[in-house]
Amino acid sequence: MGKPEMKGTVTSLSSVFPPEEVQKAAKMVEGKLSEKQSEMNQLKEFIADNTSLINLVQKLPDELHHDIMVPFGKAAFFPGRLIHTNEFLVLLGENYYADRTAKQTVEILKRRGKSLMSKVDALKAEMQDLKAEASFFDSTASEVADDLVEIREYEEDNSPERVSQSGPVELESPSVAEADNKVSASEDDEYARLMLRLEELEKEELAAEDDGENDEDEDEDANANATETETDGDEDEDELTEAAFHGKKDEGYSSLDHNQRYLESQPRKQLQQSKGKDPMNEEMSTKYNHQDLTNQLACTGLTAEPVTKGNYGGECEIPHGRIVHQDTKMLNPPVNASVPSGKKPVQTPKSEFDSSKAFTGSIIEHTENLEKKLPEQKTTSSQASDSKPSKPMSRFKMQRK
Amino acid sequence: MSSSSTALRELQRDLENKANDLSKLQKDIAKNHQVRKKYTIQLGENELVLKELDLLKEDANVYKLIGPVLVKQDLAEANANVRKRIEYISAELKRLDGSLQDLEEKQHSKREAILKVQQRIQSHQAGKAKA
Repeated sequence: MGKPEMKGTVTSLSSVFPPEEVQKAAKMVEGKLSEKQSEMNQLKEFIADNTSLINLVQKLPDELHHDIMVPFGKAAFFPGRLIHTNEFLVLLGENYYADRTAKQTVEILKRRGKSLMSKVDALKAEMQDLKAEASFFDSTASEVADDLVEIREYEEDNSPERVSQSGPVELESPSVAEADNKVSASEDDEYARLMLRLEELEKEELAAEDDGENDEDEDEDANANATETETDGDEDEDELTEAAFHGKKDEGYSSLDHNQRYLESQPRKQLQQSKGKDPMNEEMSTKYNHQDLTNQLACTGLTAEPVTKGNYGGECEIPHGRIVHQDTKMLNPPVNASVPSGKKPVQTPKSEFDSSKAFTGSIIEHTENLEKKLPEQKTTSSQASDSKPSKPMSRFKMQRK
Repeated sequence: MSSSSTALRELQRDLENKANDLSKLQKDIAKNHQVRKKYTIQLGENELVLKELDLLKEDANVYKLIGPVLVKQDLAEANANVRKRIEYISAELKRLDGSLQDLEEKQHSKREAILKVQQRIQSHQAGKAKA
């Protein structure tokens, strides 16, 4: 079996974050949070007292003197009068007092209230940070408890490393991508194998090209991409491979509905557009095989290669810059094998190529064969990976049966 | 054999001593932190008082609470006193910062020394096990 050159490490999260420590950290954060909470309560009490005091101070000068019960000692009162109702001895702080009028006192109190409010705000910010910390710890604790595992896979090619984590860990890409990662980890191998075979076929294609064997060219193109120029005779096979490809993609990306649809619609768009251009295509097929190869490779390379690499975060849409990067790098080796013009600018396979590149619309006709082809191709792909068929046609004929 | 065991015991005693020193250092550091906190709060309060005093009119009455006695003070005098207190507190804070740094360095070096002693003990025990 032509296993792709991929290394990987599987590290259980519990080894990276020992559960006890995570729990300890979580408890510590909780403790700090409760401390801050009590401080906050105290400050709020102060603020409440301050406002009630302001009200009292404002009411007192309304009368020249008030009749009150004066506290006497620890447990006694006697009736008395409150005079000099506009004179207040205000504590400024640090055992310093000052004589002030009611208005001035109110001003002092208001300033104190402001400083209290600013302290409360600072405390709130701290508490928010602590809460964020606590939530992070909680999530790691739950992950560790669930025995979730971190999976890292390394590609041997020039492409950068890709780290995928199974589990509800934060990823830049949407959580859908994570689900796909879980599902498609097993399918990476097959796609990688397909790509390897593609490369081999392309090499053969180049060798046989001089003979003007468009068939092989188209077959390899079909293998590599969804879009190709084809002659009539090979349309079926190409479509089959494309359909199979798409079928596989469907399996793998059942969750990435919109991306899939985009994928499928894109080649179909190309197909439909090129239906009207069949005579053109036949001419183009000879002339533009090189270009088409690269373009189509690039075009579907972006779709196929994210498939093989499992960059499920985005296919044509590609939210990650790094996926695009990968694609170009992956693109170049196979492209260079067949055609020296490695087209780098082909990073947006969107609708740029579609109009000009010929493609038959017959994929639509054969969609019902998708499911049949899937199991067939899976078995045959594993078998055929070893054998290098001189003519890919034969292989596809096998698959048809 | 006995020499190695005595050496081992010595090492262990050494380790205990160092561990005690380390715990002392940690207590010192904690105290330092507390005192620093207190001083910081006082500094804040004094600055507030200064602000209020600046807002007072020249002839306003200012009193200082000394024990159970409320003593009338001159505004200028009160201002000067508060300023001096602020300076004193800031100087204390700086001193505390310096001593805190020293303490932390000492703690760090103690930890390293403890590690070394532990390693020696381990190697001794490994040697003993082999022999």
